[in-house]
Amino acid sequence: MSRIFGIDLGTTNSLIAAMEGGAPCVIAVGEKGSALLPSVVAIAPDGAVTVGERAIEMEPHLTVERDGRVSAVGFAGGEYGAVIRSVKRYMGLGGDEIAPEDRARYTFADLSGPVVRFQIGKRVFTPSQISAEILRALKDGAERALGKDEKIERVVITVPAYFNDGQRQATKDAGRLASLEVVRLVNEPTAASLAYGLNKMAAGNVAVFDFGGGTFDISILSIKEGIFEVLATNGDTHLGGDDIDRALVDWLLAELPGTLKLDRHVWNSARMAAEDAKKRLTDIAETDIVVELPGHSIRKHLTRDALEQMAAPLIARTLKRCELAVADAKLTPANIDAVVLVGGSTRMPLVRRRVAEMFHREPLCSIDPDQVVALGAAVQASVLMGTQGDMLLLDVVPLSLGIETMGGVMERLIHRNTTIPTSVAEGFTTAVDNQTHVDIHVLQGERELAKDCRSLARFKLGPIQAQSAGVPRIEVAFLIDANGILNVNARDERTGREHSVDVKPSYGLTDDEIERMLEEAIDLGEQDLEERLLISARNDAEQILGALRKQLGEYGRLVTAGERARMDEVVERLEAARTGTDRELIAKLVEELNEVTTPFAERIMDAAIKLALEKKSVEELS
Amino acid sequence: MIECPSCGRRQEPSLICVDCGSPLAAPLDCFAALGLSRKLTIDLDELERRYHELSRMIHPDRFASKGPKVRDASVRATATLTRSYRTLRDPVARGLYWLELNGEKLGENNKRVPPEVAELVFEVQEQIAEMQLSTDPEAAHELATQIAARRIQLQFTMDESLAELERHFAKWDQPADKKMLILELKTILSNIAYLRTLIRDVDRALDNSKAA
Repeated sequence: MSRIFGIDLGTTNSLIAAMEGGAPCVIAVGEKGSALLPSVVAIAPDGAVTVGERAIEMEPHLTVERDGRVSAVGFAGGEYGAVIRSVKRYMGLGGDEIAPEDRARYTFADLSGPVVRFQIGKRVFTPSQISAEILRALKDGAERALGKDEKIERVVITVPAYFNDGQRQATKDAGRLASLEVVRLVNEPTAASLAYGLNKMAAGNVAVFDFGGGTFDISILSIKEGIFEVLATNGDTHLGGDDIDRALVDWLLAELPGTLKLDRHVWNSARMAAEDAKKRLTDIAETDIVVELPGHSIRKHLTRDALEQMAAPLIARTLKRCELAVADAKLTPANIDAVVLVGGSTRMPLVRRRVAEMFHREPLCSIDPDQVVALGAAVQASVLMGTQGDMLLLDVVPLSLGIETMGGVMERLIHRNTTIPTSVAEGFTTAVDNQTHVDIHVLQGERELAKDCRSLARFKLGPIQAQSAGVPRIEVAFLIDANGILNVNARDERTGREHSVDVKPSYGLTDDEIERMLEEAIDLGEQDLEERLLISARNDAEQILGALRKQLGEYGRLVTAGERARMDEVVERLEAARTGTDRELIAKLVEELNEVTTPFAERIMDAAIKLALEKKSVEELS
Repeated sequence: MIECPSCGRRQEPSLICVDCGSPLAAPLDCFAALGLSRKLTIDLDELERRYHELSRMIHPDRFASKGPKVRDASVRATATLTRSYRTLRDPVARGLYWLELNGEKLGENNKRVPPEVAELVFEVQEQIAEMQLSTDPEAAHELATQIAARRIQLQFTMDESLAELERHFAKWDQPADKKMLILELKTILSNIAYLRTLIRDVDRALDNSKAA
């Protein structure tokens, strides 16, 4: 049977890993041999998909051109195509759960439905479909890197421990849409503890502090003779490094008028600058941030102290969650024998200081915090293949599960932090004579009232044989599987007959919808990879031809007649090739055109610099 | 009798097939699931050891590459094991489960506040109400301090009741009047239930006053 691979489907970056010679290793899927695939998906108006570094280049932003002018580039959303970043934040959300600031960032289709849908060109995409593109890119990239005709079919995907049922289901759907068998969903902090080989520890308690781009998780585990037992978990699926970037962007753009602040090009340019500055301040004490706008530039000075002041309230929120988790585990911080740091945001010195203060010990961070989850997922994959000896993971469900009872009260059936898989059976009967159906509303959350909890699903029990009120006895079994996903079964206690239960999820996709998307994907994917590569090559051709046309218009005087003739000749061949289907020919000609235009491009650059210098000296003189 | 989904062998209900070692989804009581005799006194280390050992044998992670029937049996068997372990590990849940096995429930006749804790319950609830209604921040702060002191006292009372519960469990190992024992168990469990609710209310009130 084929190997199982471990995937970290992250908010900011995604990775794939596998066991090589007994140790987990990440696989280089990126173009420059990097293991990190940015979780960024660009979709062109014609539906062509690009994932990773090249998708980032297509994000709407402002760019300083060779002649010094600032112009807007990239897919601006909606009919212009879009670039989706941090899609994980939208997994499992209903249309009504989209924040106003998100609406400014992306174009959504009808938001009244149970699933968020991005409107791009004439098509709509669910977060699961976008995530499936990331999974597909990981799969393609890893298969290329592995060679040997090894196919990636079975995977473990990690999810934030605090993901609810809908978010987990959406992640599983993404796997299905990418034609992957998701053998298991594993909680990210738990996976991270596997990567650190803490099973070698005889017995002890471990805290895993996982602060990523978009989510925060804290898990408390007890480890004993190879058994990793999660005692408690807590977190916030909408709190991460992104929020620090957003706070920085608000500060950077504070003086701009409102309409400009919401401009996707301006906002993204500021976000990129903010993120870079934040990273720089991990190693240095102060830095300058520059955002170039057309005819204007924002230049601000940022010290690490000021950054920390902005980040402090967010970090305080993570520490509050830690306190709750430690208390739920019936421990105190002094009982924790090791602390593991996970996620890029734990690189911030302030985070490390606060965590060390809270647990009275220096946290472990010897494994790259960006890779540790994927490495742990690979270890769990090998546990599932039966090649990890006695090691076993006993994880928990992060949120309580219950049903709505009389008066809109949530009755808890399975408490949070219960080890999974777990099940509970509940008896139901009728309230009035000859009632043929019983409606059941399943909820997840910690609040007292049903309306404050998250609706998971509704279903109708029945048809029930007409009898007096209270006579029918139907036992409903709620089972949470090892992925933390709910399954429901019903049985008539007198007849022993199984009732089919048609569960209608309150959020997320129904099985029929997934089937339809799969069929569409197969239709579209017939020529699949080959076609994608062709579209991508054609886009490259279009881009270089367009750029050259523009440059020849402005700087035609800088080309010699001989150069011009060679350019025209290649352009003509490329124009012809680009309507055909030979993508290798297109790629070859793009390369050739690049070569023959290089001296020209260099001359333009020189001219631009000269121009800028002349201008400057004139300004200085006057 | 149940049938093993893997080898087809018919056998007495248990979590593991006697022939092929596959997991079995059998209806079992909490003691049987962990292979323990029905006794209220439990060695918690031994309980954990059994739980870990059985988990290693039947957990779904061990059967990821098997067919859907075996996988399903593994999920159900592990769910039964987990529920049984959690019930027996916690003395209060174990006591309540014991009542259930004896056809009894703490339920309806438990509306009356047990006299042992009645005074404490009323006093603390009064203080909480007073603090919540108080418009003078200084007075509210003073009440919060008093309630925090009460919280410590409540924890002592709770610990005493839990110790009493453990002592009571041992009584079931000796020959005794079962009816009397059930009555005593109900009284202790009902005291604990009241204390738990009260401690939760106190914690909530103190959290709110801190937030305010």
